[in-house]
Amino acid sequence: MTAPSLVMTGIKKSFPGVKALKGVSFEAFPGESLAMIGANGAGKSTLMNILGGVVQPDEGQITIDGEETLIHSPSEAARLGIAFVHQELALMPTLSILDNMLISSFPTRNGLIDYDRGEVLCREALSRLGYEFNLRMQVRDLSPGDQQIVEIARTLLGKSRIVIFDEPTSSLTSREKERLFEIIRYLKSEGTTIIYITHLLDEIFTICEKAVILRNGEKVAQSAVKDLTRDGIVEKMIGSQEVVSYFQHHARQPGPVLLTVENFQREGYLDNINFSIHRGEVVGLWGLLGSGRTELFRAMMGLDQITGGRILIDMGRGARPIRPHSGKNPMGLVTEDRRTDGLLLPMSIRNNLSLANLRNFISRLWPFIARTREEAAANEYVRKLNIKSTSIEQRVATLSGGNQQKVVVGRWLQTSPLVFLMDEPTRGLDVEAKAELHSIISGLADSGAAVMFVSSDLDEIMSLSDRFLVMVRGRLVKELPRETTKHELLATASGMTGTMGGE
Amino acid sequence: MIVKQRLTAGAFLLSYGFLIAIVVMVAIFSLYSPNFFSLKNALFILHAAAPSMILATGVALVLMTGKIDISIGSTAYLSVAIGVMLMRGLHVNPILAMLIILPIGAFLGAVNGFVVVVLKVNPLIATLGSYFTFRGLALQVSNSMTISIPAQLGNIGSLRIGPVFIDILFAAVVLAIFQLIHTRTVFGRHVMAVGNGAEVAQKVGIPVDRTSFLTFMLAGLMASIGGVLTMFQVSSLSPTLGQGYEFTAIALLVIGGVSLFGGEGTIFPGIVLGALALTIIQSGLNFIGASVFVYPLVRGGIIFIAMYADSLKNMRKRQVKVLAEQG
Repeated sequence: MTAPSLVMTGIKKSFPGVKALKGVSFEAFPGESLAMIGANGAGKSTLMNILGGVVQPDEGQITIDGEETLIHSPSEAARLGIAFVHQELALMPTLSILDNMLISSFPTRNGLIDYDRGEVLCREALSRLGYEFNLRMQVRDLSPGDQQIVEIARTLLGKSRIVIFDEPTSSLTSREKERLFEIIRYLKSEGTTIIYITHLLDEIFTICEKAVILRNGEKVAQSAVKDLTRDGIVEKMIGSQEVVSYFQHHARQPGPVLLTVENFQREGYLDNINFSIHRGEVVGLWGLLGSGRTELFRAMMGLDQITGGRILIDMGRGARPIRPHSGKNPMGLVTEDRRTDGLLLPMSIRNNLSLANLRNFISRLWPFIARTREEAAANEYVRKLNIKSTSIEQRVATLSGGNQQKVVVGRWLQTSPLVFLMDEPTRGLDVEAKAELHSIISGLADSGAAVMFVSSDLDEIMSLSDRFLVMVRGRLVKELPRETTKHELLATASGMTGTMGGE
Repeated sequence: MIVKQRLTAGAFLLSYGFLIAIVVMVAIFSLYSPNFFSLKNALFILHAAAPSMILATGVALVLMTGKIDISIGSTAYLSVAIGVMLMRGLHVNPILAMLIILPIGAFLGAVNGFVVVVLKVNPLIATLGSYFTFRGLALQVSNSMTISIPAQLGNIGSLRIGPVFIDILFAAVVLAIFQLIHTRTVFGRHVMAVGNGAEVAQKVGIPVDRTSFLTFMLAGLMASIGGVLTMFQVSSLSPTLGQGYEFTAIALLVIGGVSLFGGEGTIFPGIVLGALALTIIQSGLNFIGASVFVYPLVRGGIIFIAMYADSLKNMRKRQVKVLAEQG
């Protein structure tokens, strides 16, 4: 057996409040594809960012081709022959293919860029992958799949010996996916080490020889893929011990259908989505990163233009279609990233709470905001949601994450929407704040509203939901009842079982 | 597998709209006034456009990184004023004094670069500050007076080689150099890369801060050169030197297809087309005897159309960008 091209030993990394990696070791060999598997938050990205020079480990060694090294920056990683094909491509859309490929290492002659030589280099790199492009074309005119090819070809220019692919197929068509696998096989035949990060178990069995499974910052298994089963992988990802549920679910009797989504379509993101939600229920939307959960919420709110389909809402007089982007949308969205999408950080709690509801504080004849009523409403919701603050004039930026999130929820509560869409509502919150939000969510459903929420935390979604909808690659593939097991939920999202709508 | 580049009617209009507009304008003005379409007038138009083309060339790189510099008019005035006072007050050799103006301009640009890159001040605010400060300093230095310059220097402004004004040739040389910088040097490519998004540029290992700093320095240098040429044309240093130049420069860049969003635009033909469009209108309105007060109105209209075209183009760019990020 040849020597390993990469050995990472005892890698430890902590972020404030979290031990992301608790001493992970693994090795990878030339000409071999190593799958990096783990649930969200297992530490995959941190481990790969350390290898890519983006973050520095607290402890541990990295050995490349038998030599111990320190990787301080992405450009240093590149010099060592480590290339990172990011899920979000690092391309410059207005520049040509040629410029994009050469950008970090232009060949020059007499101080000017030697495009003749550059063109030869790029053509050669692309032809090794079996491609030929018009190199003067702007990258923005390429399809996402072709853009990825350009990024991979760029790694070939740098003579990379280790290529990390981070969820490379998340936006590719099945043909483009086949093409990518061909390329990976080719890279392996040249002796390149591949590290392949994915959630989709099918791909692991197609393209990888070995697999490392991480859970909670620890390596729980490293073995040959042929010795693994799908069930075995899922088992190891979840772990055997049940995490104590911090929220006790209580049975609820869902009311009549409130909202129906019909044939939702958005090119490249959503594919023929159909479902309905009832009054008084909490629906958990489960899916992997990039499966289209956020996109579905955005489309429902009218934030992204859909190319087909409609929403029907029954507000007591039968189901009627609504136009989501009109001002009268009876839905409220709690966004994934409250700091950038949900709150006006420099403004007060009062201002943030009344933002979506200013119309109620003015009258037709007196177009100035009724300050006393605004304050009364703010005080009411601060009390109701238990927002810990010095006063309603406190700047939202100075609140803790949990209290910020409660402000976002409170804003929508004021408009008394019928449907709440919540995208990762408890992300980054501590246990106590989480528990408070859980009871708020549950309380909303008890009071007759419908709640649909996304969470990457399996335990959370398991304990809160009355019903599950599972998305894979922009399609709603399955509806699962409350009694579903974690295993089934995870397996469905990894694309292992049959689909609801068919291929 | 070669994919053909699509060129729709809309994209064609966006790219070549102003070329067509220039041709139409020339045709209309020639129809109204037979003297308009003459070599002599063409040369005057270029002569008038030369300083603003040089100023715009410097700012072009700043705009291409997605930033802005609105202080170049004041930079031009301050650097030239210092040069003139060295000559008048300290009796420095006139040629030497004129040459000293250029490093002063570059230094003032570097000050802007420092404030934007190191102190992380928003470029619009930073250069708004220097817009006032530089002009204020220059008014102090020159006592707000109009100072005439020695005849031998003033003559350079109307010097010709054959029928061609020397500043036209000078502008041509500057444009050629910047065209080369923009299309064929690593720095030029880095400018465009930064304009596509500083984060991505950082990821692929581009010295983002150094690139931005250099663009501001070059903008200052070009401002001082444009200032010197303007002074030569009018044979004196006036307290209004460079006033409004920043907006003329930015307007002509936008007309010429340099996007305020960054990452897009050309030195040639972009800047030349933009400068010609603005100057031809001015000259043409003059020829047909329109009131001088009409000119700002017409210019404003053109800028609006150009900005709208820029925003349309950018929408197209953004759409693809979203896909690219998902890729």
